[in-house]
Amino acid sequence: MSGFVHLDVASAFSPHYGVNRPDVLAAAAAADGQPALACTDRDGLYGVVKHLKACRENGIAAIFGVNLAVLADGGAATAGGGRRRAPGKPGGEVEGRVTVLAHGHDGGAGYSALCQLVSAAHAGDGRVGVTRDQIARAAGEQGVLTVLVGPESDVGRASLSRDGVRQRALLQRWIRCLPAGSVAVEAVTHLNAPGAYLSTSHAARMVRAGRAAGVSTVLTNAVRYAGPDGAATADVLDAVRALTPLRDLGQVSAPGTPGGWQPNGQGWLKDGSAMEQIARDVAYAAGDGAEAAADLLRDTEAVAAACMLDPAGDTGWGMPVVPEAGVIGITGAPDRELALRCEAGIDRLYGREAAVVAGSAAEARLRERLGTELDVISDLGYASYFLTVAEVSKMITRLGVRNAARGSGASSLVNYLVGISHVDPLRHDLVFERFLSRNRTTLPDIDIDVESAERHRVYREIFARFGSERVTLMSMQNAYRARGAVRDAGLALGMEADGLDDIAKQLWRFSASNFREALAEKPELARLSEQVSSHRQLDLLVDLTERLDRLPRHISMHPCGVILSDTSLLRRTPVQPSGLELPMSQFDKHDMDPMGMLKLDVLGVRMQSAMAHAVSEVRRIHGSGEQAAAAGDYLQDRRAPDFVQADGTIELERIPFDDESTFELIRSTHTLGCFQIESPGQRELIGKLAPREFNDLIIDISLFRPGPMQSNMVKPYLENRHGFAPEVYPHPDLREALAETHGVTVFHEQILRILNVMTGCDYAEADVFRRLLGSTTHEPRVEAYFREHAAGRGYSPAVVDEVWQTLQAFGSFGFCKAHGAAFAVPTYQSAWLKTHHPEAFLAGLWEHDPGMYPKRLLVSEARRLGIPILPMDVNASDTSYRVERCDDGTLGIRLALTGVYGVSSREVARLRSGQPYSTLSDVRERSGLKRASLERFAALGAFDSLQDGRGNRADLVLHFQRRPVRALPASRRPFPGQQPLPLPDLEREMLQTGASAPSRDESVRTELDLLAVDVSGHLMDSHAPLLRRLGTTPASELLGLRNGTEVLVAGVRVATQTPPMRGGRRVVFISVDDGTGCVDCTFFHEAQQRSGPFLFGTRLLLMHGITRRTGPRGISVQALQAWDLADTASLPGPGHLASADRARNAPRQQGGTASGNGVPQRLDVHTEAEGLDNRVAPK
Amino acid sequence: MGLFTQGIEISCSPAGVPERLHWQGQDYAVSAEPVRWFERRSWWAEEQRAQRGSGRGLVDHEIWRVQARGVEDGQHRTFDLSRHQRSKRWRMIRVHEALREAA
Repeated sequence: MSGFVHLDVASAFSPHYGVNRPDVLAAAAAADGQPALACTDRDGLYGVVKHLKACRENGIAAIFGVNLAVLADGGAATAGGGRRRAPGKPGGEVEGRVTVLAHGHDGGAGYSALCQLVSAAHAGDGRVGVTRDQIARAAGEQGVLTVLVGPESDVGRASLSRDGVRQRALLQRWIRCLPAGSVAVEAVTHLNAPGAYLSTSHAARMVRAGRAAGVSTVLTNAVRYAGPDGAATADVLDAVRALTPLRDLGQVSAPGTPGGWQPNGQGWLKDGSAMEQIARDVAYAAGDGAEAAADLLRDTEAVAAACMLDPAGDTGWGMPVVPEAGVIGITGAPDRELALRCEAGIDRLYGREAAVVAGSAAEARLRERLGTELDVISDLGYASYFLTVAEVSKMITRLGVRNAARGSGASSLVNYLVGISHVDPLRHDLVFERFLSRNRTTLPDIDIDVESAERHRVYREIFARFGSERVTLMSMQNAYRARGAVRDAGLALGMEADGLDDIAKQLWRFSASNFREALAEKPELARLSEQVSSHRQLDLLVDLTERLDRLPRHISMHPCGVILSDTSLLRRTPVQPSGLELPMSQFDKHDMDPMGMLKLDVLGVRMQSAMAHAVSEVRRIHGSGEQAAAAGDYLQDRRAPDFVQADGTIELERIPFDDESTFELIRSTHTLGCFQIESPGQRELIGKLAPREFNDLIIDISLFRPGPMQSNMVKPYLENRHGFAPEVYPHPDLREALAETHGVTVFHEQILRILNVMTGCDYAEADVFRRLLGSTTHEPRVEAYFREHAAGRGYSPAVVDEVWQTLQAFGSFGFCKAHGAAFAVPTYQSAWLKTHHPEAFLAGLWEHDPGMYPKRLLVSEARRLGIPILPMDVNASDTSYRVERCDDGTLGIRLALTGVYGVSSREVARLRSGQPYSTLSDVRERSGLKRASLERFAALGAFDSLQDGRGNRADLVLHFQRRPVRALPASRRPFPGQQPLPLPDLEREMLQTGASAPSRDESVRTELDLLAVDVSGHLMDSHAPLLRRLGTTPASELLGLRNGTEVLVAGVRVATQTPPMRGGRRVVFISVDDGTGCVDCTFFHEAQQRSGPFLFGTRLLLMHGITRRTGPRGISVQALQAWDLADTASLPGPGHLASADRARNAPRQQGGTASGNGVPQRLDVHTEAEGLDNRVAPK
Repeated sequence: MGLFTQGIEISCSPAGVPERLHWQGQDYAVSAEPVRWFERRSWWAEEQRAQRGSGRGLVDHEIWRVQARGVEDGQHRTFDLSRHQRSKRWRMIRVHEALREAA
């Protein structure tokens, strides 16, 4: 049994340096019988929480440390008075690197010193590092840190150059600067060639220096990987860090320079006996005997012992910390305050309803629920957590920013009453225990959606409200995915960037670790696959790509996490700049619970911004409640309803949930742009489901998840719903739990109810069981419990069997109804806006681009809805998309000045502030537009109105190209808004005319190039003759065709999805737009094989397939083959549908499948889900 | 110093330290404590594959510098030997100038 402890270990959380994750390292250390392990990542504590967790699981002690660059003391600035300076600009050159360890079992003093030291290292401008002075300050008089001065330090470098005098002097400086006993010399040998960096003689010289100075001298292996196998990965990371191919790495940084390329492959977590042997070798080389080796090992053990942490005592492991009551403005007991606020909520939310008459059943239900929730919250001591979150929502609302809670938080009545969530859990039968119970001691998650455009403002306000000592942003670790891994592996191998990019582009969908499998399977990679088998370098590329896969790559701000705590926060987490000028923690979401940190997810949701824009456009264009209601066709007795204010502001939170015309729109499946229900698959489902009420929307959203889709819950639900099949309940007792979904188990809440009814356990226990479903180790326990108790309550074995199968199959996949309910609110609100104020809604979509489709599809949608799109105009256009009343009274959407390729936002702002412009010369003189921008706006027709019929766009573009732009000097430029003198437009007079006007196709091309939107015509228009010749069917005519008709369709790709399939073969969904609407096409395996490279790369597609009716109003195409429409030579000739060689469905082996025609129905396999939607960026 | 790629026969102690060499028809006895280190290889140019789990010896190889005395000619020579970590086969990579020892 070895007592050796590795004190210098970089995990994979040292980006582009470490190779293995903490769990792998801890397991290796434990397997060797090492009593503890350190985690000393470079520049941060990114891995320590995972390290501590892994050490606990492996039954060994954890040591925290960091490897930091040491900056030269900045002379006068740091001497004496310099101590008071902010640690902003310390030091100069990087002298080297040292490893700093925190002492343990000292009430957190060591750990918090380490956190603050790391934060200080990141507080400078640009360079990450600390001065010796900063280390001394962090260590304090007690000396709660140990600094390992090793081979990478200034001492180590001097020792490498065999400069003994200098080496001793430098070591003395360390000893002098730091508190007594804080310095330990670190000897490392990677058994490099004698005399070189990390050679045994290098280590021996360090040992001699340490002994001479009388300081503790430890042995480490400067570990970068768990086992020898990681060495090659470390080589690749070294190459990537240096941005230099491996073959040239030797020239850039000779192997063996500190911090450069590892000299060889010996930096693994060697076992204790190997380290003992190394200790003997080093002692021998130092000219000492066995005693010296023992000293080395003893010192190592002693430092390790001082640094082993007490998880709870040192890091606050597992103990939630929330802001102090005083900060959230309460003086009394938090429990009491929360109860009072809930009472106020009852008055506010139920006050007007008769349902809360004292003594009524509804009131009793409300009271009982509230009592239960408050008891649990009080028992867990979380009242101040709820008050904190409530305070944040209130603050956001006060800022005038739309917000709504999402997720399981919607299950809580308390959340509803204090204004965190907008969903009434009683009305939707949501179970509190799904959110919080005495059996769940982790802090509950409450996520708040806000307008994406206001998110940063919200963050800043939270910092201002709670104080920067209590708040920090959360970070996230970005790991290598296939694309980046290929690029970097290729870089290391010195492959040509062009070829690599081609490969990387093809890999947009799989993880690199499946690269080899993907090569074998995916038709679009077939060509690459051949190259791999014929090309050694590609073989290596695949191997290295797989090695890089999933390794943390860099840290960034989490898109929504904010950590709220008390004033101890910055002693419990290191922080660094986030890019937002607000600090972010080095910990990610997985670290929050263990570290007792309260994380609030404040998500920026573009749809919320889009709706806010729509609401403000409605107010601006209509100006009063009556006008708005009249335009939107929802006057009630000729008056505006309650939810519209006098100035025309619609309060979306108050619109009734039973608006028939909104449901009509939803059922029509024209839901493009509506939250959650706009994807091709969702439109198909919504067409089949035909929602009639709000609860249907919740069910729809909950069904459209990977779980329900994969476990085929959709079809039985739909059949039962429409009465095609009788509802079946395993037992009458379960009718109540399952009635809303016609006997099909969809929601987590239903699982809890089933367990409650059949076993008698309470919901809190039931939720624990639910979480264990699907776990191979724990599920048997749940099964045993279920069977025993259900039988005990008299359920027959047949019923028990049947229900257990349901639980087993669906339990881990079902969806939390509270999530669905929280999502359904913005879904309904967006559909309501689209129904009643389509032009304002589309303007909002345009402005904030929330959806999965490219903007140009919204143009088609506007066209379909008969909403005029008004061209960009230098005077009429604004910096955002505006609703504008046309001369005939209809409402149109005016294109904004923004979004023109190559025109900066500053130019746009200046152009806007100079409006109105009376003449072309006026534009030239006052707008400050660059010539290229003038040309672009001219080409888009923004100056058509100023040209006033003289010449055409092409003339004006030529004109701008010819004449050098000479703007007025700034002193003579009018102030924004100042009217110029009414002079005739000299520029217009001088305009040479005669260029041939751009054709409509050319205009469309220009619009696509500059705006990525085709406004004056559809991109497909120019292909009309070709399509006629081929005999394609337009999207608008598909619905009139019979099921099973063979067709050719063509269009511009708008969406591509390849949802992951459980156990099945991949299915690819491609949607194209042909100007008359969208066609959704499904590619099964054979069709993918036939279409090869066209599946992903091409923008304009021609597809051959068979129509599939998906509902009363829905139709899609099961594709057989696809071609690149732009490559006319490759296209089939006219009459393809009658040709004998055309592709056909292979006959099925088992005839007569359920769908009758031998082809799987799309919904049976269709498993796209939220987050899987993938926007295809047009090239 | 010359460069060789000839085969060489080595016999080792139980701990794996070379003790006797047979080279160019002559036996050599190791005459000083050998020095061992690990030297990197250009694996990206030399290997066909570098997949995960390929294990030890991809990135570096073990070098032993051995001083030995020819049993016949009595000359001391210094050999750099490499041991392939996977096959455990020895290869001679360098022989340094023969050291003539006074008597």
